[in-house]
Amino acid sequence: MKKGKKILALAAAGAGALYAALFAVFYFDLDGKLLFYVVEPFLKKHYDKMERRDIIKMDYDVDKYGKYEYDTEGGES
Amino acid sequence: MRDLKHLIYFEDLLQEANNALVKQAKAEGRRALGYTCYFMPEVLLDLEGCFGVRLRAPRCTSPDIATYYMSSRTCHYGRSLLERALEGGYNFLDAQMATETCTVTCRFQEHLQMMDVIKNPDFFCEFTDVPFKKTENSYLHFRKQLQAHVLDKLSEKFGIDTSDEALMRAIGQHNEVCRLITEIGEHRKEANPNITGYEFHVIQLVSLVCPKYLILPYLRETAEELRTRESEPRPWFRCKVVLSGSENDDPGFTQLIESCGAMVVADRYCYGSIPGREEIVVAEGQSPLDAIARHYIDTSMCPRYMEQHVMRQRKKQLADIAREYGADGIIVESNKFCEYWSYERTIDTIVLNRDFGIPVCSIEKEYINSASGQLRTRFQAFIESIEIKKIQEGQ
Amino acid sequence: MGKGEWKKKIKDFVHGKPHGERRLGDLYIPKTGLYKHREWRGIKDTMYYFNRIWLYNYGMMVYDIMRYGGPVLFAKGVWRYRWMGQTYLTVMHWFDRGFEGLRGPALRASAWHYRAMTNETIRQFMRMFAADANLHKGERNELWHKTMAHDETVAGAIFYPWRDVMDDVPLQMVPYFVTCHVNCHTVLNYIDAAQSIGLPGDPCPMCQAEAGLSILDDMPDYFPFLITSNEACDGSVGTSILQDWAYDKPLFAMPQPMQFDDPLVQEHCRREIEECWKFIEEQTGVPFDYDVFVKYIERYNELTRFEREKWDVAANTPYYPVNGVAQALYRIYYSQDGWRDIWAITDKKVKKILHRCVEKKINCFPEARHRVLAWSCAPLYYSFWCTWAYNCWGLHTVINMDSLMFDIDMRTDTREHLMEDFALYNEWAPMRRMAVGGYKHIFEVWEYMEKFHCDMVMMYDQVQCKGMQGIVGMFEDEFRKRDIHAIWMPHALPDSRTVSRAEIRRIINDYMFTVMHEEPLDPSLLDFDDSMSW
Repeated sequence: MKKGKKILALAAAGAGALYAALFAVFYFDLDGKLLFYVVEPFLKKHYDKMERRDIIKMDYDVDKYGKYEYDTEGGES
Repeated sequence: MRDLKHLIYFEDLLQEANNALVKQAKAEGRRALGYTCYFMPEVLLDLEGCFGVRLRAPRCTSPDIATYYMSSRTCHYGRSLLERALEGGYNFLDAQMATETCTVTCRFQEHLQMMDVIKNPDFFCEFTDVPFKKTENSYLHFRKQLQAHVLDKLSEKFGIDTSDEALMRAIGQHNEVCRLITEIGEHRKEANPNITGYEFHVIQLVSLVCPKYLILPYLRETAEELRTRESEPRPWFRCKVVLSGSENDDPGFTQLIESCGAMVVADRYCYGSIPGREEIVVAEGQSPLDAIARHYIDTSMCPRYMEQHVMRQRKKQLADIAREYGADGIIVESNKFCEYWSYERTIDTIVLNRDFGIPVCSIEKEYINSASGQLRTRFQAFIESIEIKKIQEGQ
Repeated sequence: MGKGEWKKKIKDFVHGKPHGERRLGDLYIPKTGLYKHREWRGIKDTMYYFNRIWLYNYGMMVYDIMRYGGPVLFAKGVWRYRWMGQTYLTVMHWFDRGFEGLRGPALRASAWHYRAMTNETIRQFMRMFAADANLHKGERNELWHKTMAHDETVAGAIFYPWRDVMDDVPLQMVPYFVTCHVNCHTVLNYIDAAQSIGLPGDPCPMCQAEAGLSILDDMPDYFPFLITSNEACDGSVGTSILQDWAYDKPLFAMPQPMQFDDPLVQEHCRREIEECWKFIEEQTGVPFDYDVFVKYIERYNELTRFEREKWDVAANTPYYPVNGVAQALYRIYYSQDGWRDIWAITDKKVKKILHRCVEKKINCFPEARHRVLAWSCAPLYYSFWCTWAYNCWGLHTVINMDSLMFDIDMRTDTREHLMEDFALYNEWAPMRRMAVGGYKHIFEVWEYMEKFHCDMVMMYDQVQCKGMQGIVGMFEDEFRKRDIHAIWMPHALPDSRTVSRAEIRRIINDYMFTVMHEEPLDPSLLDFDDSMSW
């Protein structure tokens, strides 16, 4: 019984501490600071280095696609 | 080459929208109808009793008041037209047959609707909706629009005869202009043409801005003259180019290119003859209006067409024109702030060179450019690159 | 510290500082837009913000990612697409910027709007990733075959007939449009990419960015075909040319008539829509389902009716609880996107708040000095300017132009009626109807000023919009003639380099000081450096 209470108390304390920590993250904008100073610069470097296909080297087949035209039900003619 | 007999007269006709032939037609009681875009079929405006004038604003270098109304961040052409209208240069117009085919000319024409700009009590401005595709739905739509917003209005406001017979007569006159301009333009396909790109540009423009029935005699005479006109003994140009792109009614621009040594052998731009001077064919049993609606939709190569196959085939069509006219390269121009041609020019510049092996010079220009030193440098460099290419190919 | 000061401090702690004492500008870390600490809004509102907005939305984002495809797919998307990683991880700051200074029902109602947009954004990008051949080693899976792509300016309602069996995801809504609001730096890469292949700098930067996404190979390969449109302008038509090249897939162009007031164009418009439907049937092999179409139209009509109820409250009372930026973004997002469950869920919640505000006569923006109508196209990188303007000057943005689009309750009693109304609905799209849709509509501003009881216009001056630039002088003339206070706000839609946020604030400050002769409510917000801010 005592053990159960202890576990509950510990869980409540842990949850409380987590809640307080999250509040600190929120209040001091730590999420924003982490993203601004660490995550975004890292990802930007990654995107800048990525190999991408070059549109100028892509085919442009002028005859590839036909005409998309359909009979419709609507109205008078 | 001997000077063309009427060239100076033609040049004079291009100095003002309200030129001598427009004044003559007005004096004869005909109604003057302004328009800006190929999508307003000029043949409908040339019915008996009226005549079409494709609007220009020659020599307008500083559209100050129009810039107040339309800001400095819109196409210089649209602003120049408004400036000329505000100056009173279009007071001879009885109507503006408008199309919303590009944003800035639409806004210009809306100003004519909103403000009391045109000092003519009869004046009205009527918009026609123009489709973006070459489909049956588009033909039908365009035909209905032309009937309601052009023919019915002309009949109602000015008592113009818009019957099929009248349309057929207008088509007949229009087709004669087309035949003559085409014949004159064909000379540019010769190895050593007996006409310059500048001269052709002037001739094509007068056919757009003058009443057809009054300019026709001059065109006939010029075509006749060209049948026997002798070329320079040796070609005066270093290469031949197609000029393609957005609105261009400035023969000075063609002259600038030619002064650098490139003859403009084909004019594939707004106000040019490719497309523009193809004859209208009315099939048996077909209504003339239907033929007209189909003709203008089918012949136009405007980048506002959005269908996938049309967007793509425009590139091939341009390459075909270059080959047909024996051009060594293509100059693709777009007026600053012209959105359609900004995109089209971008892809033309890449694809025509890469896939069709045609050298391309891509430039952005203003409405009036003749004094541009920068452009001259660009053209000279382009011509030199073509010459180097020719030498390398020869080796 | 005297007793009075202690009392004041306790009061401020419990209830938050009154508007004039907040000094919100002091909270910023210079340049970054980050906060030294987030605003203390009093116990109730701070805890609401922490629990029901910050924690709740982080939690819901995780939940959304789990239910729409899972963390692995999400991580792959983050790693592959710049617009994803650089933008959406910072989403809570987007909330912060929109809600600075908000209290009570205004905070709650506005936050629900943001939550809905976040949910729909996650749903869309997770659908893109789930179908994306780029993230599946080039394999075109079943979802790829069941996802239709379209320009973001093609109304989502076009695809209702297939909503129960397939999905439609706009090409640019999430990779471009929403990114500009959340992190204004991302889009610059796409604008530069478009110009790197020779496009001039002057076309509309929205269209440039849309083209740039395809040029830079930053669009997921999630669709077998696409539908494009001429909405809103010439630039949109031009963009199709480059997109077609980059995507190289069957493309159906579904243009809207330009002269949409003309009764003669309606038949043409209707046929275009019907041809589009035939194209979809041909491409997918899935037949058009009229009943499903009607079902979603009727559901969407419910959203329209509530929108009108909101406008009624906004126009005639001070009890409207949605701030300017939430109103604008939510309305344009859902009306363009079309029916989704999340919009109805959100409207239900907001309706409750709205009704409570009206019943209890809660003035949600008590420091409003001027009721502002925002007209024309807004700066996407500074859509939250209205939050700043309210906090700094008491300028309360009641409604904006884009909110007023698609305003039609479509009849569903017969197919004829429905198609008539649907063609109009398709034509009354954002920007097309007013900004570039004929001067008569752009000048409806005077009617809406009257309807919404506004005494000031924030006139967006999109410097690269040819349609709006082409009519500036007439506006100037009319403003003078009608003696209307109008502030011109220059901007380049997504491109924050052309006119900075600081410059926009300076222009508003100048007008308020020199023309209105007013003093700021919060002087700390007059001038601050947020040049590197998201």
